[in-house]
Amino acid sequence: MSLSAPCIRPLAILKQAFRQCRAERQQLRSQRQYATAAETYPSLAPRFPPPSAGFRPSQAIKQNRTETGLTKIPVVPPPRSTRKACPDPIAQITTTQLKTLDPTGARTRLFSPTNPERAQVGDILLVRLKNSEPFSGLLLNIRQRHSSIDTAILLRNQLTRVGVEMWFKVFSPDVEGIEVVQRAAKRARRANLYYMRQPRHDIGSVEGVVKQYMRRTGGPMGGRDGRGAGRARGKKGGKGKR
Amino acid sequence: MIQLKSMLNVIDNSGAAVAECVKVLKMHRAAKTGDRIIVVVQKQRNFGPESGPGGSVSVSAANKVRRGDIRHAVVVRTAKKLQRPDGSVVKFDDNACVLINKGGDPIGTRLNGIVGKELREKKWSKILSLAPMHL
Repeated sequence: MSLSAPCIRPLAILKQAFRQCRAERQQLRSQRQYATAAETYPSLAPRFPPPSAGFRPSQAIKQNRTETGLTKIPVVPPPRSTRKACPDPIAQITTTQLKTLDPTGARTRLFSPTNPERAQVGDILLVRLKNSEPFSGLLLNIRQRHSSIDTAILLRNQLTRVGVEMWFKVFSPDVEGIEVVQRAAKRARRANLYYMRQPRHDIGSVEGVVKQYMRRTGGPMGGRDGRGAGRARGKKGGKGKR
Repeated sequence: MIQLKSMLNVIDNSGAAVAECVKVLKMHRAAKTGDRIIVVVQKQRNFGPESGPGGSVSVSAANKVRRGDIRHAVVVRTAKKLQRPDGSVVKFDDNACVLINKGGDPIGTRLNGIVGKELREKKWSKILSLAPMHL
């Protein structure tokens, strides 16, 4: 390009000549650089076109996997969770049991804590049994273990001047009916009246109270079916057959 | 739960009032209602005028056993809770027994006190028939 003009000039002026040379070399270098950048070696050239904008390798791998047509492994779905199907089996069993053992729901009401007319410790109860004589006594304790179907009551009485205590399962099929003979005058301040076993607190036999109750409800077996008892005690707000 | 050294009330009119268990027969556990035990009479019943309904029994019946006698007996009440097959539980305030002879017949002629119903299953029907009440 500009080589011809400086070559004609005299070489005496060395300073100038060197300067010239440097400039030329610089020029050449820059030219050479441009040339190398533009050159494409076949080994270094990219084999594939560059990825498009927004290319995500993870996506691409997934796509490739399905596309290659690998054999599909059959996956068995997990079994249905029984915990989801029936979250509280105990409660379900309790309700079904209560339906069969207490169809009217009277006995559940008699011992339900929400009922203000419920049987409480200190009351005198009469338990009518299918296979033996009825048992009456002072209610010392109401016990409920695990679920309401296990509710049991502890009655205390004196028979032939000997203290007798009996536990009854409230929902037992052997129990025909539970009646409240006499309510406690005052609400007991204890859950269990075990102190009633002590001689100074023992109320003795409840036979007299029960006999009076029988007379009031009619006949010695007055409330056998529970209806007569219900009428007689109607004004007290209680229900005959519990 | 009657075992060695347990003291029991004797509720028949054989003349004994309190007896001490010295052996539970035919088992390796404590005796329950209806089980047969051997007792030593520790205290005699005095059939005086103050004994009430027991006073009407004949004097000969009162002298059938004496203090220190070794006798067979049947447990009829226990203070230990006893569960029945129907789920109900019965508990008495005291331990009581009835004296019998080796043949199994009661020595006394009448009982004064309630007895457990378990005697029926253990074939003590003679004692049950003498008892004023069973539970």
